[in-house]
Amino acid sequence: MSSTATHAAVSPADVVKQADPSLDAAMPSAVEDASPPIRKGSRAIGGSVIAGVGLVVLIALWIFAVRVLRVPPYILPAPEAVLNALWSGLAVNPASPKGYYLPLWSTLSNAASGFAIGTVLGLVLGSLMAESRTVEKLLMPYAFALQSLPKVAIAPLVVIWFGFGDGSKVAIAALLAFFPVLINSFTGLRAAEPEKIDLMRSLSATRFETYRIVKLPNAAPFIFAGLDMAVVYALLGAIVAEFLGAQQGMGVVITQAQAVSDVAGVFAALVILGVLGIALHSSVRRLEHRVVHWAHRGKH
Amino acid sequence: MATPLAAGDAEARRSRVLIDIQGVSKTYVTASSGNVHALNKVDLSIADGEFVCVVGPSGCGKSTLLRMLAGLDTYDTGRLSLDEQSVTGPSGKVGVVFQAANLLPWLTVRENVRLPLRVGGRHEAGNQRIDDLLDMAGLGEFGRRYPYELSGGMQQRAGICRALARDPQILLMDEPFGALDALTRERMNMELQRIWQAHRKTILLITHSISEAIFLGDRVVVMSARPGRVLADLQVPIARPRSFDTIVSHPSYARLATQIRGLLNAQEGAANE
Repeated sequence: MSSTATHAAVSPADVVKQADPSLDAAMPSAVEDASPPIRKGSRAIGGSVIAGVGLVVLIALWIFAVRVLRVPPYILPAPEAVLNALWSGLAVNPASPKGYYLPLWSTLSNAASGFAIGTVLGLVLGSLMAESRTVEKLLMPYAFALQSLPKVAIAPLVVIWFGFGDGSKVAIAALLAFFPVLINSFTGLRAAEPEKIDLMRSLSATRFETYRIVKLPNAAPFIFAGLDMAVVYALLGAIVAEFLGAQQGMGVVITQAQAVSDVAGVFAALVILGVLGIALHSSVRRLEHRVVHWAHRGKH
Repeated sequence: MATPLAAGDAEARRSRVLIDIQGVSKTYVTASSGNVHALNKVDLSIADGEFVCVVGPSGCGKSTLLRMLAGLDTYDTGRLSLDEQSVTGPSGKVGVVFQAANLLPWLTVRENVRLPLRVGGRHEAGNQRIDDLLDMAGLGEFGRRYPYELSGGMQQRAGICRALARDPQILLMDEPFGALDALTRERMNMELQRIWQAHRKTILLITHSISEAIFLGDRVVVMSARPGRVLADLQVPIARPRSFDTIVSHPSYARLATQIRGLLNAQEGAANE
C-alpha cells in the first residue's frame, strides 16, 4: 500500500511533505509547548511566597493578640503553648495512647474506608443515572432531597444504626463523600459532546465502549472535582462521628482536650487536621493533573 | 500519474454505482421552530471511486444527508443505499471525517487513529496499517503526542487517518477543513487529493468553499436552500493531479466557479426575501 501511495502521487505528496516540517515548527502549539513549565513554575513559586508571607503575618498578629492585647489563654492560647501541645503529641512513642498517631490512624483509616465506599457508590449510581432515564427519574428526587438535607444531622441516626464502633464513622464518612461524586459523575457523563457520541455510533460501538472510551474520560474533570470535595468531606464525616462518641480518633482528642479546657490541645489537634486536609486536597489535585492532563491545556 | 492498468481498473469501477440516493426527504421536529423540512426528494448517485463535493447554503440539509449515509440519522421517504444495500444504521463500509477533527483529547494521536480497530475488539489486526496511515499523513513522529499538541491541520489529518483505519470503501467528509486558515486548507486539499489518488476511496465531501469543491471534486453538486434538493450536478473536466497554482487559470475553473456562485447567490436571495 505504501509503495503505491508514494508512487501514485509523486509531486503533490512531495510538495506537501517538504512543506510540512518548517510549517509545523512554526506552529503556535509547538512554541507554546516549551513555555508552560516555566510559567507554571514561576507562578507556583510566586504563590508559595505569598502564602508564606500570609502565614508569617498571621502568626505575628497572633503573638500581638496574646502579648499586647492580652487575650486570655482559654480563648486564644499562645503560639508556644500550641507548639508545646503539638510537640507532646508528636514526639511520643507512636504506640503511646497519649500521642496523635493512634487517633490519627483511626480517623484516617475510617475516613479512607468511607471515602472508598462513598465514591465507588457515587460513581456507580451516577453512571446508572446518566445512562438510564428510568434510573434517573427513580433516584434523582431522593438524591436532591438528601443533597439539600444537612447530612451531618443524619449522623446521630447513623450512630444508632451502626453503634459507637468504626462502623458508624465509616458510614458517615461514606455518606458525605457519596453526594459530590454522585452529582459530578452524573453531570460529567451527560456532558459528553454529541459529535463524540456520533463518532462512536458511526463505529457501531457498544454502549459500554461508548461509556468507557468517551463518556467516562470526558467526565474525569467533573469526577475529580467531586473527589476533591469527597476527600475533605470524608474526613469531616469521620470527625463528626467521633464527636458523637468513640473510643479513639482525632475527634476524641479534641473533645477530651475540651473537657479539661486544654485550649492549646484543641488548637494543636486542629492544626494537625488542617495540615491533613491540605495534604489530601493537594494529592487529589496532583493526581488529577496527571490523569486529566489534556483538560488543563491552556488553563495555566 | 496513474498507470494504464490502474486507469483501466478505475474505468471498470466507475461503471458501478456505490452510493445511491433516490427521492430522499426528511422533516424533523425542533422545539423552537416546529417542523423543519430539511430535504426534499434528493436524487444523487455516486460511482465507485468517484470524488463528489456538495455545496449549498447554510442549513440546506447537506450535513443531514451525510449523516443519513453514515447511518446516524433516519430519513422519512425514499431510498438510500450503499453498495446496493439499504442503509439501516452505521456500516463498516463507511468512514466519517467530522468537522474540526473531533479527536478524543484523552487519547494519543495513534490511539485516536486506532480507535475504529479498538471498537469491536479488532485489537491485533492492523498495527502495521495504523503506522502506514500515520506515515502517509506525515504524522509518523506524532503518534505518541496528544491532539492538543498538534495544529488544526495535523489534527484533521489524524481525523482522516482514523476514518481510513477500517479501510472503508466510502469516506464521508462533513466540512472537514472549515475550521482551518486558507493556506492550511489548500495544503490539506492537496493532501486529500494525494490520499484519494493513492487509496481510490469513494468520497462525498461537504463544503462551503467553491474553490475547494472544484479543486477536489470529479463532480460538484449544488444544493438549494431548505428544503434541500439538488439544483445542479456539474462535471469538473480538469485533469489530475490538480494544483492550486494551475487550476485557477484553467478555463473550466472560472466557468464552474461563476456558475456555482450564481446558483448559490440566487438561493441566498430567495432565502432573504
